[in-house]
Amino acid sequence: MIDLFDKIQESVEFIKSKWDGTPKAGIILGTGLGPLVEQIDVAVAINYQDIPNFPVSTAPSHQGRLVCGTLNGVPIVAMQGRMHMYEGYPLKEVTLPVRIMKALGAETLMVSNACGGLNPNYSCGDIMLIDDQINLMGDNPLIGINDDRLGVRFPDMSQPYCPKLIDAALAIARKEDIVAHKGVFVAVAGPNLETRAEYRFLRTIGSDVVGMSTVPEVIVAVHEGMNVVGFSVVTDMCLPDALKAADENEIIAIAKEAEPKLTKLIMGLLGEMA
Amino acid sequence: MSESSFQQSAFELSIKQSHQFIANRWNKRPRYGIILGTGAGDIANAIVAEEIIPYPEVPHLPASTAIGHKGQFVCGTLVDQPIIAMQGRFHLYEGYPVDQATLPVHVMAAMGVTDLFISNAAGGCQPDWIVGDVMMIESHVDFMYRATPRMFARTVHGRPLTRSDLYDVARIEQAIVHARAEDFQLHRGVYASMLGPNYETRAEYRYLRKIGADAVGMSTVPEVAVAATYAMRIMAMSIITNVANPDQLVETSGHDVVDAAAIAAPKLRSLVENAIKNTED
Repeated sequence: MIDLFDKIQESVEFIKSKWDGTPKAGIILGTGLGPLVEQIDVAVAINYQDIPNFPVSTAPSHQGRLVCGTLNGVPIVAMQGRMHMYEGYPLKEVTLPVRIMKALGAETLMVSNACGGLNPNYSCGDIMLIDDQINLMGDNPLIGINDDRLGVRFPDMSQPYCPKLIDAALAIARKEDIVAHKGVFVAVAGPNLETRAEYRFLRTIGSDVVGMSTVPEVIVAVHEGMNVVGFSVVTDMCLPDALKAADENEIIAIAKEAEPKLTKLIMGLLGEMA
Repeated sequence: MSESSFQQSAFELSIKQSHQFIANRWNKRPRYGIILGTGAGDIANAIVAEEIIPYPEVPHLPASTAIGHKGQFVCGTLVDQPIIAMQGRFHLYEGYPVDQATLPVHVMAAMGVTDLFISNAAGGCQPDWIVGDVMMIESHVDFMYRATPRMFARTVHGRPLTRSDLYDVARIEQAIVHARAEDFQLHRGVYASMLGPNYETRAEYRYLRKIGADAVGMSTVPEVAVAATYAMRIMAMSIITNVANPDQLVETSGHDVVDAAAIAAPKLRSLVENAIKNTED
């Protein structure tokens, strides 16, 4: 991990040469959730491949642009599309953008994903504020010699998601008449979706939703000492005893449909930060 | 020569070279080996040291980077028996490949070690346990996903090895009787090994407890798996350095863990000394 520090500096210098703002928050937009970018007063949008050390996103409906500007009056950087472990990237690379966001000045990370719902009380299109997480990816982005300039060797994970931000988001959801839950996100490596037996297992161990991202980014955000708020958009229901085959296009369509709700919540939170 | 047999012979050579280096400094054939975990370095004080060898001096071994770990072999005697101790160990979260992290166990086997003691610092999943308690590991759940062919024994003394053979039951019984006589609490339970380095979330603690884990840590399982391939008699102990109560979780830091381990150090020493004194020939 010792080489990360210099890489981060290099990427930050490049981004700063294009944009001189200091973001208050970094936003990661998951599958089908890119349209939030339309609300951003864009100063500059940089393709991932142009940023030194930045990995390139290959997942469907992930555009691969770092959008810098202001959203609801607050300077932000947003990742339109993210990198996943299942694309073959080492977790250190997947999470490098989070470290870059922090180095640019972002104290808050807002992360979103499309996920499968395990809690039978949830419905497709619902939003879940992530209260806690389980890492079943079989890997960790912090493995290696620790760089104390970035964070501590053994980060505490008793409260990876900021309770104040969760409560604020839930209050906004109530006001806007949006169905929002609070629950546990479990991350698996993917890329195949789970079997019925795996869904039963994940539900039994206490998960409400399952996805293939977010956990590595949040571990790194905690390592960096950031405040984190996480939004899971339920794009298919994974009820093992009444399971329908997952359809990628349908998942993306549902994410797009739910996206305005996510936009309202993120804009609302930013409004309170302004 | 195929690639895999080349790698195999290169690995055998590393074991031989590391062993030779240590034997040149301390030429005894210890029956006992001990791996001292986070904060339990105190027990090394009870060893009458004859030779101390820092890891970086030994060929093929990296330097240990964990908090509270010194990173050296202490060669000498404990209750008058020759012993080689690892003061500080290699963790997978430090980024070492598992075969390199467990190389010292191969070296111990080459030196003649047949009885291995292992200690670690672990989070307790049982809310009624107390910081500083010790748990005898009777079984484990491996969540490290890093097993290699060198960590699987085919046979031990002509019979197939099953995982239930890993932790010596007689040693556990002996320790429990001893703890009663010495009047301290000693638990017996299942150790879950995680990659780390971050501590567990509340949801992860709930999950681990649900599936039967009593303590959770970031070491030991790779070492045990390798020791088992040499049919070593294994006694492993977890020092409970924090008690995870997911519904009322407090923060954990590396330094708290080291402080809490100090409470358990005398118990650990007593258990190991008792085991050595009561080893039949």
